[in-house]
Amino acid sequence: MQGVIGAFNEIDSTVHAIEDLKKQRFGDITVYTPTPRHELEHAMKHPPSKVRIVTLIFGLAGVTFGYWIPIWMSDYWPLVVGGKPIASWVPFTILGFEVMVLIGGLATVFAMMGFAGIPRLTLTVGYDARFSGGDFGIWIVTPPERADEAMNVLKKHGAAEVRRER
Amino acid sequence: MATTAAPYPGEGQHRPNIPSATHRLPAVKTYDQIDDEIIATLRPTLGWFALLGIAILCLLGGIATWMYQIHEGLGAAGYQPPVMWGVYIITFVFWVGIGHAGTLISAILYLFRAGFRTSIYRCAEIMTVFAVMTAGLFPILHLGRPWKFFYLIPYPNWRLLWPNPKSPLVWDVFAILTYLTISSTFLYIGLIPDIAVLRDREKNPVRKAIYSALALGWRNSDREWRHFTRAYLFLAAFSTPLVLSVHSVVSFDFAMALTPGWHATIFPPYFVAGAIFSGLGMVFTIIIPIRKFFKLQHYVTLNDLDAAAKMCLFTSMVVGLAYLTEFQVAWMSGNQFEQDYFWNRVFGQWAWAAWIMIICNMILPLSLWSQKLRRNPAWLFILSIFINLGMWFERFVIVVPSLSHEFEPWQWGSYRPTWVDYGILLGSFGWFFMWFLLLIKQLPVMAISELKEVIPPKMKHPHDTTHELDEGFPMPDETGAQH
Repeated sequence: MQGVIGAFNEIDSTVHAIEDLKKQRFGDITVYTPTPRHELEHAMKHPPSKVRIVTLIFGLAGVTFGYWIPIWMSDYWPLVVGGKPIASWVPFTILGFEVMVLIGGLATVFAMMGFAGIPRLTLTVGYDARFSGGDFGIWIVTPPERADEAMNVLKKHGAAEVRRER
Repeated sequence: MATTAAPYPGEGQHRPNIPSATHRLPAVKTYDQIDDEIIATLRPTLGWFALLGIAILCLLGGIATWMYQIHEGLGAAGYQPPVMWGVYIITFVFWVGIGHAGTLISAILYLFRAGFRTSIYRCAEIMTVFAVMTAGLFPILHLGRPWKFFYLIPYPNWRLLWPNPKSPLVWDVFAILTYLTISSTFLYIGLIPDIAVLRDREKNPVRKAIYSALALGWRNSDREWRHFTRAYLFLAAFSTPLVLSVHSVVSFDFAMALTPGWHATIFPPYFVAGAIFSGLGMVFTIIIPIRKFFKLQHYVTLNDLDAAAKMCLFTSMVVGLAYLTEFQVAWMSGNQFEQDYFWNRVFGQWAWAAWIMIICNMILPLSLWSQKLRRNPAWLFILSIFINLGMWFERFVIVVPSLSHEFEPWQWGSYRPTWVDYGILLGSFGWFFMWFLLLIKQLPVMAISELKEVIPPKMKHPHDTTHELDEGFPMPDETGAQH
């Protein structure tokens, strides 16, 4: 993977650089920010995260499993009390709820990791330690013939440092 | 982290981040300043070593006492019929309660977009995880044969006999384990971007390798933040009803029994309010010294303390109302046993404990109606100690008087904890503070990435209206006072 990386001190310069890069049809752009910012999010125009679908599916699976455990246990070794149902949904709702939260919550975290591409073993290409501190960054994956063009755009918008990486 | 949780107000002028929009840190100017000042708190000091030593000593005392109890049997504790639940169950409920404020502050206040949570929620989350870990020890300590604790886990024994899923004790296992898992996950997920900051600044290769592994290769990219903020929001949404459910389930341990003083429908909301109240008390006990000794007064401002104190006052009044409602229900029920029990609680055998509870939980917190006292960290710290004491006694008043004063007069008895009970109680504080002190010197006590959301980022053209802050909001001064 090769491309160009630029570090910015200011957020408005970063936003303008992203908009310009998009106009010039640089497709594969990654933006680094020490904290999430609406400005960058809107400049990038990403679709909504799919984490919510995983949360819904596994939350429903969790509540189903959470009801199934006590129903199966009660059926397997019935404790018969006159006038009381063997499988009683009211107390089992507690277990259904807890298992829903447990499975839905853990699935949400794993989905986030999967979609975000973490855990990642290396940080080498297209990252700079200052992006977790105070600077914003843009990494553009581009073939060598368009690298100069990308560097010019970044410099034009006031990048503090621009370099090629591979 | 809060960004995508907030509705986007449209093009043109808009807030930077809604949850932080009412929160201002005027003495914090740059992202680098946040990194420097929060990372500086990780350097161990002599005072920290001294506190850690005391905590470990208390823990060792608790372990030795427990070994003695295992050798001698549960009779070494102060149990005597009919009081067969004592300090261990009281302390279990106490620690579960303490564990509520963390998730309340981090999840519920996040969903309600209360800006003051930003500076205090990491501490509260750490407190939650270790408080629930401490609470989880007590059902085991309460067993005569603690190595059989796994009987409560839905796993068949050698006769293929399963635990009874209609028992509140089984619900407890599910609720506490889920709460511990989700709270720990919530804490760790929130820490990932901050650990990445530590990783990128660390020079020591061993520590750098550890931070690199814990940061999971986090790079602060737009792709990571997009999924992260959404996942964080959903975890907050899951945690919110979880907070309410866990202490409701703990209250069922009592309310499902027919014992006078326990068998009441008011118990779940009463326990939840009490848990939040006691958790806030412990937050003050922890955050006020941290704020002072780590020199973080410009992060945890007087405005933040004021807002948390208002919440504390509110929950104190809910708890006070619950105490009074219990008496009214007993009075109006026409049930002789209930009426006798409540009379005995306040004017009889256990009056001393009940009045400690009432004074600490109902009367002293009324001082928080005064804004001057709400903004006085020394008073908040002193009050928090009384709240911790009062909430422990609340659980004492729930557990012991009911068991000692049931239906038949010939069954009435008393209870006196022994040195074994006190040793294990002290050990639990040692266990909690040991983990807490160890963690706050390894990982940031404040959420670096969320603090960065609060301050405006550097801009080349500060008057660009696209990124302008809201005007008209009263800006606080260096001490956090608004003008």
